[in-house]
Amino acid sequence: MKYQTQKIALIYFAVALALFAVQVTMGLILGWIYVSPNFLSEILPFNIGRMLHTNSLVVWLLVGFFGAAYYLIPEEAEREIHSPLLAYLQLGILVLGTAGVVVTYLFNLFDGNFLLGNEGREFIEQPRWVKAGIVIAALIFLYNVSLTVLKGRKTAISNILLLGLWLLALLFLFAFYNPANLALDKQYWWFIVHLWVEATWELVMASILAFLMLKLTGVDREVVEKWLYVIAALALFSGILGTGHHYYWIGMPSYWQWIGSIFSTLEIAPFFAMMAFAFVMVWKGRRDHPNKAALLWSLGCAVTAFFGAGVWGFLHTLHGVNYYTHGTQITAAHGHLAFYGAYVMLNLAMFTYAMPVLRGRDPYNQVLNMAAFWLMTAGMAFMTFTLTFAGTIQTHMQRVEGVDFMSVQDQLWIFYVMRFGSGVAVVLGAYILIYALAFPRREVVKPGPVQSHKSAETPAE
Amino acid sequence: MSDDTDPETGFYALPGDLMMWILIISELIVFGAGLMAFMAVRLTDPQGFTAAQGHLDATAAGINTIVLVTSGWLAALAQRAGAAGQVARVRLLLASAAALGALFLWIKMQEYAAKSAIGIDFETHPFFTFYYLLTGFHALHVVAGIVILALVGWKATPRNLEVGTAFWHMVDLVWVLLFPIIYLLR
Amino acid sequence: MTATQGWLALVILSGGSTLIAWWGGTGVLVALAILTLAWAKAQIVLNVYLGLSEAPGWSRGFALVLGLFMLGAMGLAVAAGAV
Repeated sequence: MKYQTQKIALIYFAVALALFAVQVTMGLILGWIYVSPNFLSEILPFNIGRMLHTNSLVVWLLVGFFGAAYYLIPEEAEREIHSPLLAYLQLGILVLGTAGVVVTYLFNLFDGNFLLGNEGREFIEQPRWVKAGIVIAALIFLYNVSLTVLKGRKTAISNILLLGLWLLALLFLFAFYNPANLALDKQYWWFIVHLWVEATWELVMASILAFLMLKLTGVDREVVEKWLYVIAALALFSGILGTGHHYYWIGMPSYWQWIGSIFSTLEIAPFFAMMAFAFVMVWKGRRDHPNKAALLWSLGCAVTAFFGAGVWGFLHTLHGVNYYTHGTQITAAHGHLAFYGAYVMLNLAMFTYAMPVLRGRDPYNQVLNMAAFWLMTAGMAFMTFTLTFAGTIQTHMQRVEGVDFMSVQDQLWIFYVMRFGSGVAVVLGAYILIYALAFPRREVVKPGPVQSHKSAETPAE
Repeated sequence: MSDDTDPETGFYALPGDLMMWILIISELIVFGAGLMAFMAVRLTDPQGFTAAQGHLDATAAGINTIVLVTSGWLAALAQRAGAAGQVARVRLLLASAAALGALFLWIKMQEYAAKSAIGIDFETHPFFTFYYLLTGFHALHVVAGIVILALVGWKATPRNLEVGTAFWHMVDLVWVLLFPIIYLLR
Repeated sequence: MTATQGWLALVILSGGSTLIAWWGGTGVLVALAILTLAWAKAQIVLNVYLGLSEAPGWSRGFALVLGLFMLGAMGLAVAAGAV
């Protein structure tokens, strides 16, 4: 660690990991509700549990991005973060807001109150005071990191990262516009999370991946930056209009079917480019970095994102297909693998790279961490296949044959049992990973002669 | 990607800027996919598509083809004049190219106005959905191209000229494929 | 080919397709003729206007993809004529 203020990242990562634990635990409960629908139906209705599962995911990913920015911006800008105090204040606001949201939802406090009550809009249900807090926290963050970059060295990595973070913060402002017309409400609603995951988060992902590749493989910055610009251009070109694949289904004109189909098909391109980028960098790399686990997560992220976001997205993006599959378990399969591959694994790659440095621990081969990688990734892959099969059957029975929803759900029971099993693997993996990142102070497996020789040669960075 | 660093091969062999070529290739994929989709959907209703196409003015569009390829020629001459350092000539040529671009848009507007006057819109027939999407998207690129030509005429370095005129030629390329497929095939 | 020669070729080829349109012919052969003229025009724009003739490898790559596109378009035109 070269800069003292990089330490800020540690507390962000800790909060992110805590929320990660909440998210996957809630996922497991939901998985069981699919198997046994009356489970907890009185005290934790499905819609509340689902909201906690998705919202804690989004919040911990964002907190992870903020932490990653606080870690990598000092190294890129070659100077300390402008104000550590503001960074801690920002986290305090976010934690307070998150706690407020959870309490408000669980007990449905202040129902209908303009400022304190939940807004009742899927994914952006936050009470208005929390929304305002999120904006203040975002402004503090953007002020803090932008000023650091402006006063320091400007690199492609920090520029693209800041572009992504600025755009994502601006898009959140749509959360304040809540038209009475439900179709309009949905339209503005799409502009938030969908333009995040299909455009601005891809910029964040590309720049963090570029930073990791730079550190782990030792390839020239010039080469990394060229790839980064190409990936960012592809992400924005395909992502912004690619989001149009949803528009027809929420009441917009039918020509969006074609715009959405064509551009969203191209959304595979940036994910393919990121996968190619990661492997080419490792191939051309000159450095044998001792943090093998971080490299494993980085490559795993690029590959799984390509399959989850790219391939599984394309699977049902063409409007002739989506007409039948919209909102079935195929969507759930895509959602799980895409979020896991693109953004969960990206954050975990960054944590795996940065936490040993932040906690002053080496040589960090991290065997336990790698075991968690395989457990989680295999579990998630199995879950994706299970849900894809379930979705295919659901599409055929419900949308083609016209069997009613609940009868079809009964037929899918066996898939939901298998999905629960794969969910157990993912959650176990997540707990092991959190333990491996946060608790042991030394490696659990002693390095052999080759590895200890290498580690002595190449000091960690 | 070892050829990536060799100056005469790989991406370095492309004239102009890599990012512009990424954009050009992306645009060509989008228009190519749109035209393919148009031709595939046409199979479902050849008579309907031919009848709908009867409302188009192929002569005006043919004139527009001449306008646009002439504009592209002027832009190409401007780029070569830029390489020779003749800034005044560059600006005159680019202004003429942009003026022809504006003429193209004016003719296009007449075409849209005529359609609108007889009540044809996006939803009239699948033919017109594609017609408006593809020609409209192309017209937006003509507008963007005129802005780009103005910018590179202002900062007329040989590199800027190469990048800016490449965009304009992409607009030409799309039109020479789009025009026959939408307006002439029946 | 210079830019001016390229332009002249484009004008002549465009005139050709406009003449076919005026003549009002229909059928598969006419469609194939129109698409062949478009193919030639696209090649000229790529190699002369966009200067790909200076980069033979890229020129071949673009020619290949354009060729596949044009063959696809021709196939669909033939299919439409046969419906």
